[in-house]
Amino acid sequence: MNKYAVINTHVHNVDGIAKVTGRATYTFDVKLPGMLYGKILRSPHPHAKILNIDASRALKLPGVIGVVTGKDTLGVKQGIWRRYKDLCDEQILPVDKVRYIGEPVAAVAAVTEEIAEQALDLIDVEYEVLPAVFEPLDAIKKDAPEIHEGFERNINVTRHIEWGDVETAFEEADYIREDWFKCGGQAHMCMETRAAVSSYTPEGKLTVYSSTQSPYYMQGLLAGVLGLKEGNIRVISHYVGGGFGGKFELDGAIFCSAVLSMKLFRPVKIVYTREEDFIATKRRTPMYYYVRTGVKKDGTFCAREAKVFTNGGAYTGMGATALYLTGFFHSFPYRWRGYRYDGYRVYTNTLPSTSMRGFGAPQAMFCSEQQIEWIAADLGLDPIEMRRKNGHYPGYEVPGQATIASCGLDQCFDEIQKWIKGKGKLPEGRAIGISACGFMSGGIFNWFDTPYSFSSAVVTINQDGTVELYVGAQEIGQGSNTTMAIICAETLGVKVEDIKVHSGDTDHCPADLGAWGSRQTLMAGNAVKMAAEDAKKQLLEFAQAKMGINIVYDLDIKNRWVHIVARPERGMDYFELVKEALRGKDGQRIVGRGYYTPHRKGMISPAYSYMLQGVEVEIDRETGKIKLIDSLTAHDCGQPINHLGLIGQLEGAFSMAAGYGYLEYMPYEDGKLMNPNLVDYKVIRATEMPEAAVAEIDTYEPEGPYGAKEAGEGLTNPTAAAIGNAIFHALGLQMKECPIRPEMILKALKEKEEKEKEGK
Amino acid sequence: MSFKCPVCKKEWNASLQVARHMFGTGDKPHKAWVDSQGLSFIDLMIEQATTPGNKSYVTLAEIIEKAQDKL
Repeated sequence: MNKYAVINTHVHNVDGIAKVTGRATYTFDVKLPGMLYGKILRSPHPHAKILNIDASRALKLPGVIGVVTGKDTLGVKQGIWRRYKDLCDEQILPVDKVRYIGEPVAAVAAVTEEIAEQALDLIDVEYEVLPAVFEPLDAIKKDAPEIHEGFERNINVTRHIEWGDVETAFEEADYIREDWFKCGGQAHMCMETRAAVSSYTPEGKLTVYSSTQSPYYMQGLLAGVLGLKEGNIRVISHYVGGGFGGKFELDGAIFCSAVLSMKLFRPVKIVYTREEDFIATKRRTPMYYYVRTGVKKDGTFCAREAKVFTNGGAYTGMGATALYLTGFFHSFPYRWRGYRYDGYRVYTNTLPSTSMRGFGAPQAMFCSEQQIEWIAADLGLDPIEMRRKNGHYPGYEVPGQATIASCGLDQCFDEIQKWIKGKGKLPEGRAIGISACGFMSGGIFNWFDTPYSFSSAVVTINQDGTVELYVGAQEIGQGSNTTMAIICAETLGVKVEDIKVHSGDTDHCPADLGAWGSRQTLMAGNAVKMAAEDAKKQLLEFAQAKMGINIVYDLDIKNRWVHIVARPERGMDYFELVKEALRGKDGQRIVGRGYYTPHRKGMISPAYSYMLQGVEVEIDRETGKIKLIDSLTAHDCGQPINHLGLIGQLEGAFSMAAGYGYLEYMPYEDGKLMNPNLVDYKVIRATEMPEAAVAEIDTYEPEGPYGAKEAGEGLTNPTAAAIGNAIFHALGLQMKECPIRPEMILKALKEKEEKEKEGK
Repeated sequence: MSFKCPVCKKEWNASLQVARHMFGTGDKPHKAWVDSQGLSFIDLMIEQATTPGNKSYVTLAEIIEKAQDKL
C-alpha cells in the first residue's frame, strides 16, 4: 500500500495538456517583432587554416541585414570548465583555424531563412588545408598533425583511478582474461534540434530563448563569451524537446544568434536543420576499451585493469567528465580488491564528443558486462550467481570514491532469475542476455565554479491556497516539473492541481545547475521538499495558535486537511488556514525557501541507482538481423516519485540504449559523417520496440527526497551489453564492437564456422 | 614513509601514487620535471596506455623515490 497521498500515484504531466494541444511554446515557435533569421556557414574541411573571409557579396544580397565572423566576437575560448581554464578550448566562430567538418565559420542574418541560406553561398572563405587525423590511435602517433597547440600527441586530458594492490590482486586470480572493445558514437537525436532566439536591446540587456538543459549555465557561459554581466542576460527555456546530455553547453545556435543580435540590435532566430544537428553539435564519446580481469575459480572477482582511448573530436566539451565516469562505472556494480583505470582523451579532426545519457557508462558496461558473461562461461559458472557474489551492497565503500547507502542489486538478481525461469525453453535462434549496472543521482562536480547552491526552490502560497513553485530545475520533456509538483504537493499536504510550477527562466527562477547527470529528482527534489517544509512550518505555526491545542501535539496537513497527527479528525480546512495565516502576517504571502548542495558524499554522487536488465533477442542467421522480443529491467531507484514519468523514462532509455546497441551507427570517411539524416541513421522505431517492462525494487535512499534516487539515465547503460550477451548465448559469438550490426554478425559467424572446420 | 611530488610538493604514502598524480596532472611543470630526468613524459604515458600492466608508473615511481632526498 502506498503510504503517500501523491508520491508514486498516477499523476499526468502538469504540462501534458499544453503539449498535446500544441500550445506549448518551444524555441522553434518563438516569433518576436522585427525578428531576423540566421544561418551558419560551416567548414567543409576537417582541418584548415582560415586565411580570409570576405562577406561583401553576401551583404549585397537584398534582404541580408548582417554577417558576423570570429572577428566580431571577443575571441574567448569557451567551455563549461570555468574552474579549469585550460579545458576551455572552443572558440565558436574561430579566427585561426577550423578543426572539424561542420565547424561554424560565419553567420548571416536576413529577413527570411531562405535569403540567409542563399547568402551563405556568397561568403568567400580562403582556407589553407592542413593534414587531418580522425582516430585516436592514429592521433597519438609521433607524426600525427597537431590539432591544438601545446597538446603533445593530441592528448587532451587523462583520468586515472586506482585502488587496492592491483598486481597482487591479479596474482591471486586463477583466471585472467583480456579483451579489446570498440564503442561507437551516438547522436543525441532530440526531437527539437538546437535552436535559439536572441534579442539584444540598446539598454544592454540580452534575452535568449533557447532549447537548453540548463538556463543558468547558458546565462553564465554567454556572459563569459559576450562580456556581459550574468544579470543582464535572461535565458528562457519553458519547453525543451529533449536534451540527453547534448544541450548544456553553449552551441552555435545560441552563440551566433546572440552575436548577430548584439551587432544588429534586432532579434535573431537560428534553428538547426536535422543535418546540422548531426554534423555540428556533439555526440556520445566513441571509445576504445582494453579490459583485463582476474577472477578466482569460484567466480570471486580479484582485479581489473582498464585502459581507454576516447575519440574526443575537435574540442573538450564535457568529454573530460565522460572520461572519468566511464572509468568509475566500469567498476560497477562490483567489488574489486584491485582496480586500475587509465583513460586518455585524444583530439581528432572529427565532430567533438561529449556527455550523452549515461555519461560514459553505456560504453563501460558494454565491455564490462560482456566480458563478465564470457568469463562465467569460460569457468562454467552461473552468470547471475557470479555477479551476485561480487555485487555492491548497502554500506559498501568504493575505495576512495563513494559510499553506497542504498542498494537493491541483490533483489534485482532475484527478479531477473524469476523472469528467465518463467520464459522456459526459447525457440531456436532466440536467447536472453543480461547486464547489470548502477548510476549516479547527480554529480558532485562544480566545474562551473558556481557560488550558488546546486539546486534551489521557492514556494509561495496565494490567498486561495494555490501554490507557486519556482525551481531552477529544467523541464526537458523528462517530467521534471511534474516530479517537483508531486514532491511539493506531498510535502505541503495539498493536491498536484494546487501547484503551479515556474521553471526555465533565469529572471524569475532560482539558479540551479539544470538537467544533467540524473541530478534533478534528488538535488532539486530536496530543495523543493525543504522549501515546502519551510512554508508548511509557517502555516502550522498559525494553525497551532488558532486551534489552541496543547503544544505537545504535532500537526500535519494531508489532502488539504490540517490536523493533529494523533487525532486526525480534529483539524481545519487548509484553504481557511491559508487566509488566516495571510492576515496574521500583515498581508505578506507565506514564502518557503529550500536549497541543496551535496557535502561529504564522496567524489562522484550522493546516491546510486542499481539495475539488472534481461533482453530476449532473436537473430536471423541468414541476414544477421537482430530483433528484440522482450525485456525486463529490475530497477532500484529508491522510492519512485513520479510513477508515470518513471515508466516513460524507462521506455525512452531502453529505446535509446537499444539503438546504441545494434542500430545507431555513425560512419565517418575523411572526417565526414556519411549518414547525417533520419533515413540512413537508424533510430529504433515503434514497431521494433519490444515490451520494456520494469520490476521496481523497494529501497530507501537516505539522501534523497522521500528516499528517491535517479531513474532516467542509468537505464541507458545495460542494454547494449545485454543484447551482446543474448547474441553470445544464441550463436556463441563474442561481439566486441557496438553498435552490433548484421554484417558483423555474419562475418563473425563465418569466422566461427571456419575455425570449427579447422578444429575438425 | 611519505613521498612528495617533486613539482607541487603534495604528499602520498607511496611513490606509485605520486607517479599517478604526475601523469594525471600532466601540466607543463610536471611534464618538464619528468623530461628533465632523461625520460619522455609523453612516451611513458603512451606506453602506459597501450601495454598491459603498470610499467611506466613503476619507472617514474623509481625516479621519484631517488629524487626525494633533494626535495
